[in-house]
Amino acid sequence: MPHLEIHNLTVSYEKNQPTLEWFNLDVEQGELVSLLGPSGCGKTTTLRSVAGFIQPDSGRIVINNRDYTSLPPNKRDIGLVFQSYALFPHMTVFYNVAFGLRMRRIPRKEVKARVASALKMVGLEAFAERRPAQLSGGQQQRVALARATVIEPQVLLLDEPLSNLDARLRVDMRQEIRRTQQQLGITTLYVTHDQVEAMSISDRVVVMNHGEIEQIGTPESIFAAPETVFVADFMGFDNRFSAAVLSARADKLTVDWGGAPIELRWHSKFGAPRRGARAEVFFRADNASLAAGPEASGLPGQVILHTFHGNEVQYLVETEVGEFSVMQDSANKRYEPGAAVTVQAQTQKWIAIIDETEQ
Amino acid sequence: MVSRRMYISLVILYGFLLGPFLIIFMASFGENSTMAFPPRGFTLDWFANVFETSQFIDSFWISLQLALLSTIVSLVMGMPVAYALTRFQFAWSGMVETVFSAPILVPGLVIGFAMLNFYVRLGDMHVMTGLFIGHTAILFPYSVRVISASLRNLDPYVEDAAVSLGANRLRGFVLVVLPNMQAGIAAAFVLGFITSFNNVPVSLFLSGPGVTTLPVSMLSYMEYYFDPTIAALSTLLVIFTILLVQSAERMLGLSQFV
Repeated sequence: MPHLEIHNLTVSYEKNQPTLEWFNLDVEQGELVSLLGPSGCGKTTTLRSVAGFIQPDSGRIVINNRDYTSLPPNKRDIGLVFQSYALFPHMTVFYNVAFGLRMRRIPRKEVKARVASALKMVGLEAFAERRPAQLSGGQQQRVALARATVIEPQVLLLDEPLSNLDARLRVDMRQEIRRTQQQLGITTLYVTHDQVEAMSISDRVVVMNHGEIEQIGTPESIFAAPETVFVADFMGFDNRFSAAVLSARADKLTVDWGGAPIELRWHSKFGAPRRGARAEVFFRADNASLAAGPEASGLPGQVILHTFHGNEVQYLVETEVGEFSVMQDSANKRYEPGAAVTVQAQTQKWIAIIDETEQ
Repeated sequence: MVSRRMYISLVILYGFLLGPFLIIFMASFGENSTMAFPPRGFTLDWFANVFETSQFIDSFWISLQLALLSTIVSLVMGMPVAYALTRFQFAWSGMVETVFSAPILVPGLVIGFAMLNFYVRLGDMHVMTGLFIGHTAILFPYSVRVISASLRNLDPYVEDAAVSLGANRLRGFVLVVLPNMQAGIAAAFVLGFITSFNNVPVSLFLSGPGVTTLPVSMLSYMEYYFDPTIAALSTLLVIFTILLVQSAERMLGLSQFV
């Protein structure tokens, strides 16, 4: 039995313009699920509906077998962490964290003990008497996390909690949030637009676009096997080209790659494509390699540009099929712009997608 | 060289701003029977005369009551408006904001004259009531503006945070929003009080027999006499205002640490 169930959730701000349509999601007890997508995809709307700040047009929200749909937000027993932290500026760290407990009329002594242990968990025991303005961004976010978890909520919701932090701090905080979440075994929804963040923190990722779910899966499965063009784009597949289907089998799709057939994993919402249909082929820059000269087997091309990335060099190569970006170990032979090369495919990591919107 | 020139301009600027003050201040201690500068001799007679002139004492109390009452009422009315304007985007919210700030833009004389006409049509109204309504109306936009400014500095999500932690909307407002409005409310109070206390154009039209505000009675006194009593009264008013602003400043400064 899932701990959090979202059934057929539909929310529209303006008439006939749903921001969320027939949204379904089950989250298991203790699971961390990310809602990933560009701004306006409906991920924050989903979160705020679960929190109770948005009344959905239709659908149900069930937590721990109890229908939450028409429960006001202050009765929901949900911990919420905001992008802007939303700490109470006039209260000390202690009173910020104690707020939820005091609203629940917990005895003073217990409040003290629970706040102390919550602050200890996020490493801020020494800061109880400070005010939010006297803390760094990372510390403020830790206070927000302690404040949301100290009430031992049924569900923890995090709305882009790291986007106001700088890059290095983001990685630290990401691990800290994950560690805290696992330590407490708390069911969590995590909203983000950053795919790396979603990959690294989640048990499962929900990729959303235009108020609908594109794909749900483990970070590994979404990273390796996107099912739609949108997900492939969003998951950082650097290269894309449109290829003619030569033949389709259950496990492999044979497509044309500059005159040569290549066999690829494939996904289609509409069953097997016929011969001659178009497939969108995606591959990452490090799933192809370069060989010198046009004679080697592969797709001949010409180097246009190279950029140094430290351990790797990124080449932009022009071929008859299109321009491709290829990563090579920087210890390998270098190719200057203008050099004739051959692009060799590591096709086991490539993927072909048949998508209605592309036909 | 630029800094030297700036320095000189600054001195001239302050000279123009503070010079008249200084002259009034010094003249209020002079023995001349008309305003004169530089003053001759030294006397406190003019200060004594201020307190002996019942016209000033009466109108001072009226001004004080009027300023306190209209400031408080304009604050009570301004708070929900400021809250609504900063928290919700609704149809016509821009329009509402413009309408609410109109009394700042319309000349005081026009407001005073318009109100007088309005009251005359309404018929028998107590002069004090008329003054109170007039002053509340001119203070209201200041209240809205200053309190809005303090609300804009507060993260709008703090209320949602309070609600998600179990507070209902009202409790969230009282425990989280209101304490953060304190500085804005205090600033609006000081600004409103001084604006009302110093107001001439609106009071001029709305004053009546026996009920006059201090600035208006100063004006009418000057029509008949030109002795340094007015200078002495002005000096007292300046000191009163400085004390008021100072104590407000101290209260505000303290409120951030309490």
